[in-house]
Amino acid sequence: MTLGVHASWVLSSAFTGWIDYIVANQDQFLSLLEGHLVMVGIGEFLAISVAVPAGIAATRDPRAARIIENLGAVAQTIPALGVVALTFTFLGLGKAPTILAITLYALFPILKNTVAGIQNIDDSKTRAGRGMGMTNLQRLRRIELPLALPVIFAGIRTSTVLCVGVAYIGVFVGAGGLGVWIQSGLTSVNYDVMLAGAIPGALTVIAFDRGFSVLESLVTPEGVSREEMADSGAAA
Amino acid sequence: MIELDNATKVYGDGTVAVEDVSFEVEEGETVTLVGPSGCGKTTTMTMVNRLTEISDGDIRIDGTSVLDQDPIELRRNIGYVIQEIGLFEHMTVAENISIVPDLRGWSDEEKSARVEELLDLIELPQTVADQYPGNLSGGQRQRVGVARAMAAEPDIILMDEPFGALDPITRQNLQEEFLEIQRALDVTIMFVTHDIDEALKMGDKVAVLRDGELVQYDAPKDLLGSPKNEFVADFIGEDRVLKQLTAVSVREVMTAPKDGDGAGERPLSPEESLKVALQRILQDGSPKMVVENGEVVGRLTEADVAAVAGARASEVLQQ
Amino acid sequence: MKPTLTIVGDTFQWILDNTDSLLEQTIQHLNVSLTSVFIALVLWIPLGLFVHEHEEFAPPVIGTAGMILTLPSLALLPLLIPVVGIGVAPAVVALVLYSALPMIRNTFTGLDEVDESMIRAGRGLGMTDRELLFKVKIPMALPVIFAGIRQAAVLVIGITTIAAFFGAGGLGEAIFAGIRLDYPRQVLGATIVVSALAIATDYGLLLVQRSLPGGSLSDES
Repeated sequence: MTLGVHASWVLSSAFTGWIDYIVANQDQFLSLLEGHLVMVGIGEFLAISVAVPAGIAATRDPRAARIIENLGAVAQTIPALGVVALTFTFLGLGKAPTILAITLYALFPILKNTVAGIQNIDDSKTRAGRGMGMTNLQRLRRIELPLALPVIFAGIRTSTVLCVGVAYIGVFVGAGGLGVWIQSGLTSVNYDVMLAGAIPGALTVIAFDRGFSVLESLVTPEGVSREEMADSGAAA
Repeated sequence: MIELDNATKVYGDGTVAVEDVSFEVEEGETVTLVGPSGCGKTTTMTMVNRLTEISDGDIRIDGTSVLDQDPIELRRNIGYVIQEIGLFEHMTVAENISIVPDLRGWSDEEKSARVEELLDLIELPQTVADQYPGNLSGGQRQRVGVARAMAAEPDIILMDEPFGALDPITRQNLQEEFLEIQRALDVTIMFVTHDIDEALKMGDKVAVLRDGELVQYDAPKDLLGSPKNEFVADFIGEDRVLKQLTAVSVREVMTAPKDGDGAGERPLSPEESLKVALQRILQDGSPKMVVENGEVVGRLTEADVAAVAGARASEVLQQ
Repeated sequence: MKPTLTIVGDTFQWILDNTDSLLEQTIQHLNVSLTSVFIALVLWIPLGLFVHEHEEFAPPVIGTAGMILTLPSLALLPLLIPVVGIGVAPAVVALVLYSALPMIRNTFTGLDEVDESMIRAGRGLGMTDRELLFKVKIPMALPVIFAGIRQAAVLVIGITTIAAFFGAGGLGEAIFAGIRLDYPRQVLGATIVVSALAIATDYGLLLVQRSLPGGSLSDES
């Protein structure tokens, strides 16, 4: 990249060029955005459906909980690009392998938080429930889940943010999404296009983060302090 | 040596923690500050080393106001022991003990000699020096805490409920050991406790505080014998007589021996408590002689004890 | 669909056949990663210290650092390119930014969580604030601070793979090339190598963390 390209770009209507580009290519933008969000949505949904029940099951068996913790620690050190590359290797190009990668990557934060959220509940509360004659299922529904919900939600928030990042990476294996513009913008040295792909994603992430934060506080039972177990997100 | 002159502490929000507290601690004396929770005893003591800054009045050490001294220097010259002990977990016992000497720039030889000396004093084996606090028991840690406070040879030691976190048996052992150390050294001590029995046992003088004010300041014997008001009497507790007997020693009450008095059967030692003495007197109903280092130094009768502990003394003991 | 078992065997063969270039890429990768972690250390740990001493700045600083961390690297890197160009530069800037949260937060909480009683005892014995900081607080907080550095290091190694797309070099390049040329062995092989690198770094630094005084108690982040 020559200094000239820099300079001319900066001097031109640099900061809004990307907005113009989006406006001029609305249809494509919306389709890319939709594709991106669909992947995130499906991936996150699948991750939640697997991780929450698995997490609940794991709290019933302390050995399982520890195995999960250790596996999770290892799994999270594998770079996101690596996970996408793995699903690509075995499943080829396209959205489906990427959704699988997203699901896998989002699994552990939710799993970890579900386990932690339930385990951190004061023993006295579950004992009170048992003392009142609740069955295991009732205890789960009325005591454990409501109390663990804020922590679980924090995990969902973290993993959703991760999902957006992994979906971006999917562009390298033909998954589409906003990454398409980043890629083409880079290869054609067109910063407007590149930013048009990047900034909406960043804004989406911030919106998700704030949105889930609000949801978390709505879901927190009154008088309970929210303890956030998960790291507040890690970029893909 | 330590003079509190209308010491007052008022906090920003208006709370008066300590109000016009005045008393004097003589050199080499141990003064215990006692009172119900929130009475201002800790605040009063921490005004001496300026961990709490005095709002009004003055505190003087050997005539110099503490406000005229640099707080850091002041604190390095005063030993400080707290209930939670606060040993530095990442340092060895030796490093903990020698922290103030280290801050003052003592040489390595000076520091290790001092550590050796102190470990002997607090009756811990020299092998403990290289261990970490995490490996020690509660009692051992508090001993190290005390050694740490004494390392730079301060003239004054402040102790804030130092034995409060220990189990009753360890606490008693440490109290007794500490009394021995006290006798061996020439240090002035201020000691905060919420336990009246500990205050009476450890102090040469006891300062009773309530709601930030000094209610009574007397030797244990006098505090027990003439409590100023109902609060003090209540605080001392119903078993006041028994406490008196336990807290007062034979030396304080014995009379001169009469000519021709031999040691007699089962003589008393001057340091023994009146309780032990009275028990022995009551066994055969006759007065006992007080012997020290083989010499007869005093004489004690039931009446002598009753003069201090009250007419009911014998009755109480026989219950 | 490719027959999965033979792929694994082929992949290890590929790794063995290409150790030279893999080594070169690994060194490039570590270069970028280590430079970033080092710069981040120098910037963020003092900032964490500052935030600990001036707690009113904690929420905005830690909040901002957290927000930066949520940005996907594929979104952040493009934002930096118009400013610093492509290649190693945007990668290092992004990686330093991503390291902010683990380092600042851990420094802050590590120092905060030092037992109050130690600080009170130290102050009562006559230690100045500075002496307390260097002789008590920092040594006691070291395992937690180190855990933050470790977290950042693993994060950085992962994101560096993506930065390869923007010209930073490293093992990511092999992955991208493999995808482009439809060469699964290479994709899988490079992924295994970089994952191994990340796991080894995590574990290696964990051992160091545990060997710090007090470190054996600290385990997680």
